[in-house]
Amino acid sequence: MMKKQIMKEKILVVDDEEGIRLLYKEELEEEGLDVHIAASGEEALKKLEKDKYSLIVLDIKMPGIDGIEVLRRIKEKWKSLPVILCTAYHHYKQDFGTWASDAYVVKSSDLKELKDTIKGILGSR
Amino acid sequence: MGYEILEKVIELTDSSEALEKRFDSLAKSISQSLSFDQCAIYLFDEERKIFSLSAADGDRNDLVHTYHDGEGLPWSAIKKNRPIIANISDVNDGRWRGIKDNGLLGFATAAVYPIKDDTGNYGMLYLKSRKKKIVPLRKRKLLSVISLQIGMAIKTNECILNLTSVNTKMRDMQARLIHAEKLLALGEMAATLAHEIKNPLMSIGGFAKRLSQQFTKDAPERMYADMIVKESKRVEKLLHGILNFSTNKGFDLKDENISSLIDDTLALFEDEFKRINIKIVKELKGNITAVKADAEQLRLVFTNLFTNAMQAMENGGILTVKTDCVEKWITAEVTDTGGGIEPSIIGNIFNPFFTTKAEGTGLGLAIAHTIVANHKGMIEVMNDIGKGVTFLVKLPALVQ
Repeated sequence: MMKKQIMKEKILVVDDEEGIRLLYKEELEEEGLDVHIAASGEEALKKLEKDKYSLIVLDIKMPGIDGIEVLRRIKEKWKSLPVILCTAYHHYKQDFGTWASDAYVVKSSDLKELKDTIKGILGSR
Repeated sequence: MGYEILEKVIELTDSSEALEKRFDSLAKSISQSLSFDQCAIYLFDEERKIFSLSAADGDRNDLVHTYHDGEGLPWSAIKKNRPIIANISDVNDGRWRGIKDNGLLGFATAAVYPIKDDTGNYGMLYLKSRKKKIVPLRKRKLLSVISLQIGMAIKTNECILNLTSVNTKMRDMQARLIHAEKLLALGEMAATLAHEIKNPLMSIGGFAKRLSQQFTKDAPERMYADMIVKESKRVEKLLHGILNFSTNKGFDLKDENISSLIDDTLALFEDEFKRINIKIVKELKGNITAVKADAEQLRLVFTNLFTNAMQAMENGGILTVKTDCVEKWITAEVTDTGGGIEPSIIGNIFNPFFTTKAEGTGLGLAIAHTIVANHKGMIEVMNDIGKGVTFLVKLPALVQ
């Protein structure tokens, strides 16, 4: 038990929708993750400067700096930090900007795909 | 003299009655006022190779009905490109200056006037007299004017017919354009709405799921929460369909074997088909020319067609799937025995949001249609009422 506490992976969830942030936080904490949240691209970048995270779950469509721009800046500065892009729409997959992400998940109330993707990425390191 | 004929010829263009019908009375007036025994109007066929009798005054029995290429006086006039006035020495010979024309039998004088304009010949005005007669210059001029006027009437008539058909085509095209624009606007609106709905829906479904876990398995609250989860999943599925339909996604085109693609897709349905007693008949050509296609998209086409077939055969049936290579096309046929589609709705089946099913989204066939069209292919439906439906998907075969 103690060991698990120490090993808890710290991840950052970035989404402009309050409901979704809360849902992600609660569901992912249940998976044994240390979940931090940011409501915008700007807030996320600030948090990244201060703290070290194992993984970022990033929404694409946000007011202000959008997810694709945040992804670009992350990959410039923290090349090996894994980023999972989350969005309501499939068609961003065709956007070159999204190719730099480590995974791409279409949003759904069923979080299984997202959880599996997180486990896959964290487990493979 | 002659004015009443001119009046009649000019009237040709000024009536809604069919032109050919008015020629008969015109022919009669011409022969009467110019004192000929017979007047006939011959018109060219479309290839301008045969003259056919169009109108005549009185009895048509002793008239030649058609003049083929090169035959008789009419063709001599065409070759000479001017009218012919013929005086025949022997009325029983049927010949003038060596030109055989059975229409001349029993006549002593004949006049042939080409009906033409600057673009070519339309036909022939053919006048005959049993007694030898001199056609004075005045009458000849009148005949020239008459034949010219007939030509103009024919041309005007053709123009009106063309205009009507172009008008019909244009109206048809306009209707289709409006329809397409409506679909586009509908699609865009649906996509915008879908985007806006998806996020809150995700919260609703996600938290309902969490709520459900707070209750014991048999608590009514759990059932209520599960219902919210189930229904929000249904809306999610619908949104997914709308977004798929309305976003123009890029294609990942590769060489694909349609037979194995269909086989793979069909495998996913096997259990379900077995359960409701649907027999699968496969006639898939193994060694078939490839198509350039996005496999994921094409699978969606056949998934939708199989789902449709399954819903049409709720009480069992036979699903036949065939692939073939026909000329430049790779074809795939999906046939069910579900009784066919009602003729009154068949025009709507590819329209988005059109459905006859309580739980349908009305997007299955619309998506299939869009995907196939994006692959430069076609999707056709053959409806055998009382028996079933065949959907034929045609994709361009890869040129080796």
